[in-house]
Amino acid sequence: MPIKIMVTCALLISSLFAQDQMAVSTKVFGNVEIIKKKGSSLKLKQGSILSIGDQIKTSRGSFAAIIFIDDRSILKIKENSILTINGQRKRGSISKEINLQGGTLRAQVTDQNRKNFIVESSVSVASVKGTDFWFISDNDNGQDFVHGLDGLIALTNKNSGISVDIEAGITGFSNIDGNLQTKKTDPKILPEDEIDSKSKINSIEIEFLDSTGKKKKLIINYR
Amino acid sequence: MIEDIKIKKALLAVFFFFLSIMFAQRNIYHIPPANAQSGEDLVIKVSLLDIEKPIKGTLYYRSPKGESYLEIPFVDTGFNWEAKLPSFSLTEDGIEYLITFQFDNEKILSYPRVDPFNNPIFVRTVQEDNYFGEPLESDILILSPFPNANLNTDNPVIAVSFFNATEINRNSVELFLDGADMSSKYIFDGDILVYAAKGLRNGFHTVEIRLKDLDDQIIKPLIWSFSVKELVEKESNTISYFGNINSRLTAEKIVDSEINIAEFSGKFSLDAQWARLDNSIRISSKESIYNQPYNRLSSNLSFGRFLEVQIGDFFPQFTNLTIDGKRVRGLGLDVDFNWLRFQLINGELNRAVQRKSGINGAYDLIYDLTDNETDGTKTYYLDRTGFEFKRGIYGARLSTNLFNKVEFGAHLLKIRDDTTSVSREISDANFFVDSSIDGIISGNYNLNTFQTQLSLNNHNLFAPSSNWKGIKPQDNLIVGFNIGTFLDNRKIAIDFDWNLSLYNKDIWDGALSIAQLDTSIDNSLDGFIGRTYDENGDPIVSSSEISTDQIPFDPGRMKDIFIINTNMTPLIPIDYTIMKSSPLTAIINMPSSAFKFSIRGKYNRNNILLEYQQIGPEYISLANPFLRNNSRNITLQNRIGLLNQKVFLNIGFKHRDNKILDTVVNPLNTNTFFINATFLPGPGLPTFSYNYQSINKNNEKTNLDSVGSKIVDLREDSDATTSVLALTYPFNSGDVKNNITINYGNVINLDNFASKRNEAYFFAKTNSNILSFNLSSIFSSFLRTYVQFNRTSLEIPTFENDLFTKLPYTLTSLSFNINRKFLGEKLVSKSEASLLSSKGKNSSTLLGLRSGVDYYVREDLNLNLLAYFRFSHNKNPDENERKIDINASGITLTMFYKF
Repeated sequence: MPIKIMVTCALLISSLFAQDQMAVSTKVFGNVEIIKKKGSSLKLKQGSILSIGDQIKTSRGSFAAIIFIDDRSILKIKENSILTINGQRKRGSISKEINLQGGTLRAQVTDQNRKNFIVESSVSVASVKGTDFWFISDNDNGQDFVHGLDGLIALTNKNSGISVDIEAGITGFSNIDGNLQTKKTDPKILPEDEIDSKSKINSIEIEFLDSTGKKKKLIINYR
Repeated sequence: MIEDIKIKKALLAVFFFFLSIMFAQRNIYHIPPANAQSGEDLVIKVSLLDIEKPIKGTLYYRSPKGESYLEIPFVDTGFNWEAKLPSFSLTEDGIEYLITFQFDNEKILSYPRVDPFNNPIFVRTVQEDNYFGEPLESDILILSPFPNANLNTDNPVIAVSFFNATEINRNSVELFLDGADMSSKYIFDGDILVYAAKGLRNGFHTVEIRLKDLDDQIIKPLIWSFSVKELVEKESNTISYFGNINSRLTAEKIVDSEINIAEFSGKFSLDAQWARLDNSIRISSKESIYNQPYNRLSSNLSFGRFLEVQIGDFFPQFTNLTIDGKRVRGLGLDVDFNWLRFQLINGELNRAVQRKSGINGAYDLIYDLTDNETDGTKTYYLDRTGFEFKRGIYGARLSTNLFNKVEFGAHLLKIRDDTTSVSREISDANFFVDSSIDGIISGNYNLNTFQTQLSLNNHNLFAPSSNWKGIKPQDNLIVGFNIGTFLDNRKIAIDFDWNLSLYNKDIWDGALSIAQLDTSIDNSLDGFIGRTYDENGDPIVSSSEISTDQIPFDPGRMKDIFIINTNMTPLIPIDYTIMKSSPLTAIINMPSSAFKFSIRGKYNRNNILLEYQQIGPEYISLANPFLRNNSRNITLQNRIGLLNQKVFLNIGFKHRDNKILDTVVNPLNTNTFFINATFLPGPGLPTFSYNYQSINKNNEKTNLDSVGSKIVDLREDSDATTSVLALTYPFNSGDVKNNITINYGNVINLDNFASKRNEAYFFAKTNSNILSFNLSSIFSSFLRTYVQFNRTSLEIPTFENDLFTKLPYTLTSLSFNINRKFLGEKLVSKSEASLLSSKGKNSSTLLGLRSGVDYYVREDLNLNLLAYFRFSHNKNPDENERKIDINASGITLTMFYKF
């Protein structure tokens, strides 16, 4: 009985904060940390509910995917990234503002109607609707790369105010000096999507010596 | 499948008056079902109280929202005639149907007897689980896993967002995974339901979320599937196939006529996950070159929900007022991106039929048109008959759905008979020649032999190559649009549908040219229509003459789109006189327009419909022959669920008249009030249903009319009241599960002018009284019985000794069915004994015995054998004789194999 009372109380208390919810994590690899708005830190797990102001930190080798509850837009966060999800809940939608302090993310935005999805770094702002793109923020060097995969992204350099449209197959480069350039995307430099890469091949290499003392290498590939 | 309904309606109208006299001994014996179960086929049973075998029986059905009917043929099961309404046709709106049986000499009997196409029987559909609504896809978002997702983890997160689902009672939400209740394990935090599943096995998994709305009404569950890794990869490379084969052989003897039918049907589907091919075929010995096709062959290729290609027989739908499920043989294309949709139809509604069977099936020698030549010879006129033109159809529709709020569509439909599809010469077609032709022996001749005989006797033959009598080739063009919107979070739907038709009832002579228009009124090719000249050749000034230069286009150049000539209706689509004074009235009342405006509201437990529909007197769609033109309809209806969905009320009012044109002096008004109440207290408890319908018809005439020297009474003011009460009571007696159904109903017709009419006035409407009792019992999973008792009392209006009177007629039937399983469940025997007695002016008794077995050879193979005998015992008081005959007998063998 006390457990039931505690669970009920927990639900009631949590419902008081229900109006802040924005997303839920659907995939988590490795060590991903979530720092709540009030400062508490938790380990992000699959199924964790994310609210306005939550900060997500991914460690080396880790990965997280979150999905927004109003329109199923997806954010995939690669290793060594830090971001804060902000926004405002309105009737029927949530305007989303992702503050990327550094790292790499992929945004798959489904809302075709409104520009209510913004990814912002210290250097640039990407305002999007109905699109798919990578945003790589190199905070140490004060530069951002935006690779358009689908749709249209309005990329603005915060220092110069220059703005360009990034289409699919185009990479935008923005730096702290106010430069903003575009060029054709080199597919080789695109980050790997942990969820999409079904065909990702892992390998184990074993070195050994043969009877003549020669080094041989056995490579085992697996998925 | 669908024949020209105009002919049928005309036949029904003509025979209706004579029905009571001519068909005094013919009656359809039918009790409408109290309700229909959603998701299950509904079998409609009919008994005919007539020894005469009908040519065919047809069940017409439609959604109450629909305008046109679909057809299903009745099958003679030995004692009853049965037609199965497919489960997919039973929507939450219920279903409307009517029954017709056609006898020799084009006699037709219908149920309901009076104006059946406009007074069909309504049957309410009971939802299997009484779901009151359906969650909108946009209201409840499946966050994870996505439907049909292939996961490479056995610990997926199941997450659903209720962010937009403001009408859901969140305390009612239950989660089931593969049928197991996980409601105690999920977290429902604010707008998000999350359940972290653990250790799922490889393969497919199903999630079901059950929920209620804020009124605590059960809503249709949200169900989707996903799959876990390895099996998926194996499956994704697999092309699956499935289908069935059904074969039926029937041999029957009814009175003196023998009917032998062989039919084969089958379905075969290939599913490659990203694309699917569905094929179906029906080949029957009933197929005949003398009629429209009975065989069916179709292929349907679909790529997801975006693209569908249909080849062969298919049933396209644009809107209710254009084409709405009529069979087309050809090509259909449907590209649907949800927000944008394009539909294309290209094929034929009718195939060309060259002739009817038998003598005079292709030619008719018209003696009255014989020409006597000056040299003493004669020219005989041989007309072509018994044909049907190939009727081609081409249609396109583009529609859009913007933001799930606004719908707009525009369509074009073009239907034309192909005059070249029917040959003038049919070499093997014989026709009868009587002895009136000099030198020619009376007998059967074909075209060649007759021509030879005429030549030998110095006569001539004229067989025209066009403008044959009988069916005329027609042309039809329809353009239209529809627009709709949703308001108040999709609780209100507003729709408007408008169409304009051009119809040409005879295109034998093709399109008029400017030159032909010039000489259409006068004989002078002078650039003026209607200009006349005096003796000196000077034009006589007239305000009615029209310069051909004023004609904006050459009708001849439009011939590929629509053939314009003097046979088109209307000649001018809009009334220019009214247009000047009141443009809106002129457009709305265009005689060849049809439109519909409706508002639907869904608030709490109410489903409200307000609809106005007007079909102009000259609006024709050859692709929808069931439309009743020259009619205005107003409908107000509400369907309510009360007491936690245990009581359903369907209440409404309909008004129909034909007062579209100002020239109509005595419009025929039909006012229908109906109420249907169903009480469904819950599983295992009795259910009650009550239907009441009152139809008033009046033509606003108050005085008698005179035709020549005769005074005729054409006044109409009558009430037809129908009420049916149904009770179903399930109960157990020991281990036996029983279900009793009792129906009681009557139809009472009242002539409101009765006191003012002449005694000899014939009020041709039949009163009836129906009582039925059914008991079904399940003794075990191996033994079931079914007992049915029905009694119908009719008062059939007729003339006796030049006086109007009502003949009593009572029909009583009793039947007993027993189904028994043997050999485990491999063999099922089915037996029925039935007795049908009719008492009236002529009395008869029919005894039917039917027996058969279903043998399940394997799970996928089933054989069925059915045999029946029907004995008749007739007593004719006039001739005072009794007779016992084998009225009918038959045997049917069916094989069904699925794979």
